[in-house]
Amino acid sequence: MKRGQRKGGSRRTGRRSGSQPRLLPLGGGKGGVGKSFLVANLAVSMARSGHRVVAVDCDLEGANLHTLLGLRRPLHSFAEYVAGRETDVRKLAEPTPVENLRLIAGTGVDLGSAQPEQNQRLDFLDSLRGMDADFVLLDLGAGSSASVLDYFMVSDDGLVVIAPEPTAVENAYTFMRAAFYRRLRLAMVEPEVRRLVSVAMDQRNESGIRSPYELLREVERLDPAEGVHFASVMRAFRPRLVVNGVRGTEDIRLGFSIKTLCSKYYAIEPEYLGYVSYDEQVREAVRACRPVVDIAPDSSAAVYIERIARKLAEGPGEEVP
Amino acid sequence: MKPLEEQDHYELLEISPQASAEEIEGAYQMARSIYADESMAGRSVFEAGDAALIRDRVEVAYCALIDRETRRAYDAELGGVVPEHVEPTSETESGALPPESLEDFDPLDASQGEFDGTRLRRLRMHRGIELERVAEVTKVNPTYLRFIEEERFDDLPAAVYVRGFVLGYAGCVGLDPRRVAKSYMSRYEESRNSSKRRLFGRR
Repeated sequence: MKRGQRKGGSRRTGRRSGSQPRLLPLGGGKGGVGKSFLVANLAVSMARSGHRVVAVDCDLEGANLHTLLGLRRPLHSFAEYVAGRETDVRKLAEPTPVENLRLIAGTGVDLGSAQPEQNQRLDFLDSLRGMDADFVLLDLGAGSSASVLDYFMVSDDGLVVIAPEPTAVENAYTFMRAAFYRRLRLAMVEPEVRRLVSVAMDQRNESGIRSPYELLREVERLDPAEGVHFASVMRAFRPRLVVNGVRGTEDIRLGFSIKTLCSKYYAIEPEYLGYVSYDEQVREAVRACRPVVDIAPDSSAAVYIERIARKLAEGPGEEVP
Repeated sequence: MKPLEEQDHYELLEISPQASAEEIEGAYQMARSIYADESMAGRSVFEAGDAALIRDRVEVAYCALIDRETRRAYDAELGGVVPEHVEPTSETESGALPPESLEDFDPLDASQGEFDGTRLRRLRMHRGIELERVAEVTKVNPTYLRFIEEERFDDLPAAVYVRGFVLGYAGCVGLDPRRVAKSYMSRYEESRNSSKRRLFGRR
């Protein structure tokens, strides 16, 4: 399915009969940068403009997407699926106070082992593609472990949320690079090539491979056919950056700088999707357990969020801001 | 998409070859902030010293592109994939006549001959230009400039950097940057290749 083909008609009605929903993961490595906040508000914003949206809390160890959407005690949860009590993913989605928006919460986990096994994760993601919806937004937990990255892997252009702080920036790079290498390794068929990618993932590896470009050269040498494939997987990976909580032009430029450095150093070509300004009304909205786009639609944060929501709904467009 | 080392001035600054002076200026300011040591986006990316290297390259790129003359020369060079044989060499029939004999060759006449480190140094001193001044103008680390004059090829960084340094050096001393770079870089490459052969004997 080509994203570009979807403009026009479907936007007004929000119906795209017969096609799968588009899965949009939001990650970023660092905790507290506003991933859940953005998922909640983007989902509301998209639902309000007529799209059928499902928001999924994949952060089973720190679920709070439901709270941001004003649900105190969700009826169902991803955790039921993990525990094997419910196998039909469609039944996990419950209505929210917002029309067109449903939620799959992440509450009520087995505190002994919250995380699903990998094959369970992949089955879950697969089932999400069968949901009757236009967009499925995935709220990821912090960190760059395989259990988080698998959710990010559902598309080539997941969103990476960054706060304008050195720590958040650092973790965002780690997150994107981990996702990039994981994507490359999973895409390779030849065991030897896979092994090579694994070696290169260790930054202090003894083979001397220090960048994806060098890795590409090695893959080409080892197996020319895989080399071609490798290069195309490399190009297809285009995460989309969102800088959350900007307080000035310096912070806005941060997105451009990260984009440049990703390309120069890591062979990753992100798109700078947008930024959301720092806003006292965001804090108030979070305290009130309400989306800021609902209680303060004229606030600058809400305006920027809606701009991003429009871009997401319309597919690829021109770059910010 | 290209490794950083292989990017030309335009790619480095992320502008098109048709960029206006204003765009070049803007891209240059942006690059300066990205590669500043205290850059928030860069601090976890840069390894020791490599931001300084890129800053040097950004300076060289900016100097080459912001001046109409040097930009034209650079474009010609880029667009050319200028084959070796186009440039008249001293052995061929075309172009400038080779010096009659070795005695007639004036090392301080910069319009002819090969440019090695010693000759560059002599030309520079003959023109009364201090190395520090070259460093100031080109923003290239003076240690590298000294290595260039001393032909300490193994201590110099990758070709693309050195080439940028030499272009800047030549321009600053008032020599033809392209000719000097071409001549100097062939010496650099030759030495690099032979040291590689030493390292990997079998190849």
